Amino acid sequence: MADIDFDGVTKVYGDGPPAVDRLSLHIDDGEFMVLVGPSGCGKTTALRMLAGLEEISSGTLRIGGAVVNNTLPKDRDVAMVFQNYALYPHMSVAQNMGFALKIRGESKREIARKVEDAARILRLTEYLERRPKALSGGQRQRVAMGRAIVRSPQAFLMDEPLSNLDAKLRVEMRSEIARIQRLLSVATVYVTHDQVEAMTMGDRVAVLRDGQLQQVATPQDIYDRPANEFVAGFMGSPPMNLVPCQLRPGRSRVEVVVADQSIELPLGYADTHSLPEAGADVVLGVRPEDVLIADATGANVLKVRVERVEALGSEALVHLAWGEGGASSSRDARSRSFIAKVGPRVTFAPGDVVSVQVSPEHIHFFDAGTGISLRAGGR
Amino acid sequence: MSVVTINGTTPIHRRGRRLSLRRRRQVAGFLFALPAIALVVGFIGVPIGQAVYYSFTEWNGLTSTWIGASAWTQAFHNSNLWTALQNNALLLLAVPFALGLPLLIAMLLHQRVVGWRIFRSIYFLPTAISWVVLGLVAERFFAYHGTLNSLIHAVGLTHVSTNMLGYESTALSALGITFVFTMIGTNTMLFLTGLATLDPSLEEAARIDGAGRWRIFRSITLPHLSRFIQLAFVMTVIALFSALFSLIFVMTGGGPGYATTTMEFLIYQTGFDQGAFGTAALYGLILFVLTAIVGVVQLRLIGSEE
Repeated sequence: MADIDFDGVTKVYGDGPPAVDRLSLHIDDGEFMVLVGPSGCGKTTALRMLAGLEEISSGTLRIGGAVVNNTLPKDRDVAMVFQNYALYPHMSVAQNMGFALKIRGESKREIARKVEDAARILRLTEYLERRPKALSGGQRQRVAMGRAIVRSPQAFLMDEPLSNLDAKLRVEMRSEIARIQRLLSVATVYVTHDQVEAMTMGDRVAVLRDGQLQQVATPQDIYDRPANEFVAGFMGSPPMNLVPCQLRPGRSRVEVVVADQSIELPLGYADTHSLPEAGADVVLGVRPEDVLIADATGANVLKVRVERVEALGSEALVHLAWGEGGASSSRDARSRSFIAKVGPRVTFAPGDVVSVQVSPEHIHFFDAGTGISLRAGGR
Repeated sequence: MSVVTINGTTPIHRRGRRLSLRRRRQVAGFLFALPAIALVVGFIGVPIGQAVYYSFTEWNGLTSTWIGASAWTQAFHNSNLWTALQNNALLLLAVPFALGLPLLIAMLLHQRVVGWRIFRSIYFLPTAISWVVLGLVAERFFAYHGTLNSLIHAVGLTHVSTNMLGYESTALSALGITFVFTMIGTNTMLFLTGLATLDPSLEEAARIDGAGRWRIFRSITLPHLSRFIQLAFVMTVIALFSALFSLIFVMTGGGPGYATTTMEFLIYQTGFDQGAFGTAALYGLILFVLTAIVGVVQLRLIGSEE
């Protein structure tokens, strides 16, 4: 078992922009690190460099302290679970799981023992003699896991291993993988574009965008204190509401002007945030669950119109907008609308005008130009 | 007027209509298949039947005389038949090369070596060229003043220069080499197609599992290609038994002596040179049975895996 260290690792294909740009990331021994980001953000490339399937353009990659930039995949002692599982179709489940051990030259008895142990953990014992095509998607996924764990590698690498499963099985396997990882306590790098997997499985989450690391933190930290507008918008479902606004710091308060309305923040707010000069444009961020729909008419209340209500059974998403003309698909209209997550059985209907309140401690501010969080020491 | 039962259905009429619909479909299916059936029966079934009949006759192309089973016993006492069968058997030694070389080339091309597109076209070129032309080229290549000897001279090995097509001991080898050359394009393409269907992540998984190149080839690539190799094997053996005529005709005319006479060339010689069409039909049946055995065994092997 070992730790993993990306030190300024870069991957460039041809003359294009870097697929992974100076990635520096440390994964502790036994840690479950999730790399998350949209398609093309470089997360899979980073994983493939770690596996040795892609060459590193520059930077240093270490596994267990040893530089592995030029080490062949077979000599890295890492195990990988592929998105399509990559099970050898002509081999039985047992042969698939024991292949690496056979290459390593272990005795038949030893291989059988390890395969049986792994099969027991993964509840695959009764399928050991089957070929992969005779298995369901979930069983194949477990065989792929089994192939990784029988080797007792230094690290597990997982490339979107749940994306080919249906929703119910995905939830099951999510906790199954997390359980096995904790049981074996092996450094794991898990790539996904699914932020629910990122939030629920990882000890820490690294968010990538355009090959660049945006933030590394615990899932809750990422959610509560996103380093920038991208992370705020990417993590969370529905994502954080991001609304352009103007700040007017006054003598006793900070006034936030949203469209033609304003809310006030306590002056102390300026101490914890590096707020810009008066009149500066910023982006206000607030999580849907922090938007409270209230009857109040007092201070810090915004008047908004209900556009649409989505009842999800356990909760409801209320799409709200201000200004005339209602929400359309245009960017301008999007910036004048946001979503509130409220309890089920709401009584309002589209067209109703309601008051919403946001408590100041739940408000995030981002620089309108760079998108970086204005929270002091926010990153 | 229709009969309606209490619950409003018309079971008898419906069942009757359903049956007639099925029958109509059967008739339509038969009618659609009829042209194909007529072609198969007319151009394959009838000639085979005729060949069986003529194999028991003495037939000079105009008149045939029934001589019965003695036609077969006479044929099996003809040493030329055994020579031809022996030549066919010896040429089977070319099959591993006709499969192995294309496999090697396909593996190299699949690695996307520099210039792989050009090489792919070059290797496939013989497939697009008539075997008569290939035979002529090969004849020039192996001739005493041909390319092969020029190369041998060029490297200073004049003493080993030879006329391969001129000696009984070497002519069949030259024919076999030419045959391998003609099969390279088709089999390379077949193996490249097979390799293109190999999921690259399997190879990657094997690399991570610790496998080297040879191990990956043996444990991942070869099992995946087994279907393609079986197909190439059948095609190659059938070509060897039934498509060498043009090469032999152009390169050696079956000689020297009977050194390069295969079954199909013997059929031609017996029928058209000696005018013994009855015996030629008999030889044709033997070749048909041999080819069919290879095909059926192979199809069984493929089928059993499914």
